[in-house]
Amino acid sequence: MSNIAKPTQEGSAAKAPAIRCRDVGMTLKKKSILANVTFEVEAGSLTGLLGPNGAGKSTLMRILTGLVPPESGTVELFGAPAGPERLGVLSFLPDRGQLPPYLTAGEWLQLAAGLYPDWSRAAERDLSGKLGVDPAQRIGAMSRGEEARLQLLTCLSRQAPLTVLDEPFTGVDLVSRERIASAVVGEMADGERTFLIATHDIREMEQLFDRIVLVGDGTIRGSHLVEDLRRSGRSVESCYREVFA
Amino acid sequence: MPPIQVWTIDDFRLDPSRPLYEQLVEQMRAKIARGELEPGARLPSVREAAAALRVNPTTIMKTYQELERLGLIVTHRGQGTFVTDAAAAIRDSRRQLARAAVAQLEETARSIGLTLAEIIALAQEEE
Repeated sequence: MSNIAKPTQEGSAAKAPAIRCRDVGMTLKKKSILANVTFEVEAGSLTGLLGPNGAGKSTLMRILTGLVPPESGTVELFGAPAGPERLGVLSFLPDRGQLPPYLTAGEWLQLAAGLYPDWSRAAERDLSGKLGVDPAQRIGAMSRGEEARLQLLTCLSRQAPLTVLDEPFTGVDLVSRERIASAVVGEMADGERTFLIATHDIREMEQLFDRIVLVGDGTIRGSHLVEDLRRSGRSVESCYREVFA
Repeated sequence: MPPIQVWTIDDFRLDPSRPLYEQLVEQMRAKIARGELEPGARLPSVREAAAALRVNPTTIMKTYQELERLGLIVTHRGQGTFVTDAAAAIRDSRRQLARAAVAQLEETARSIGLTLAEIIALAQEEE
């Protein structure tokens, strides 16, 4: 195999990991936020980025998406350096992201469809039903769970090969969590999409992960294939407790 | 064509500290053995099953592969995946399950110094 992966979404690039993060470091006001962060996310996988609040997950995700350059180290997406010019390959749900409250869900989706070149109206229709999004509802009048479902709908209606979700479950009711988890599964079933999901709440997602990457105090505290954990009689939760309890 | 069985998460009990596909294979074998999944019944697609059970699609793929290897389900291209209607395959599978259960009971019997017949007789003895 050639070791030069083209920065396209198909073909040879499918062999390169979706994310390759090497020795990433970041300090803020002389305080170390991330140090020596190295890990990979296989293309087509669903990887959980797990760690307590304040572990550096959100900072790491902003670096992965290319929104913030790392102080040291490198990040590659499908074999090409991350950065603003690579935003097209990824769909990012930021923590505490906000949609315009004065629009209805339908108006927002109309706007988003025009904004993103990779928007799929068919996926939007399909997922609107699965996620139970009411197009007539004003965003400002939505519960946290309803807004989270609309944000996820926005992310998944794009056809970008990499989806990065930062804490999609924070403050979201149980039924919304379940609908979100089912929608994510449905979208990854064809193996074309890769997911990285940061969460400190593993209950709804534990059965979905292929791999977990544990982050604590700005460093990688472990990276495991979940099936290997289970073969040794451990669960995602027990592994998390061993590392962070 | 028989209707698709639509599963819910309540149809299976999954222990998060054991390989999930092994548990799904065991539980589906039991469903087929007791006829809850009837011969010829159509199974949900990988995508449908994964979304309904909220497990990784790879888990369902491995489950179906293993059940196919055991001859308990068949995939017809373009039509879907079905429980076999070969009675012999289902009977073989039931026999294997029965043998495994008996082997386990024999082991328990041996551990307390009894034969299979003796442990059953003892368990059924009136007080």
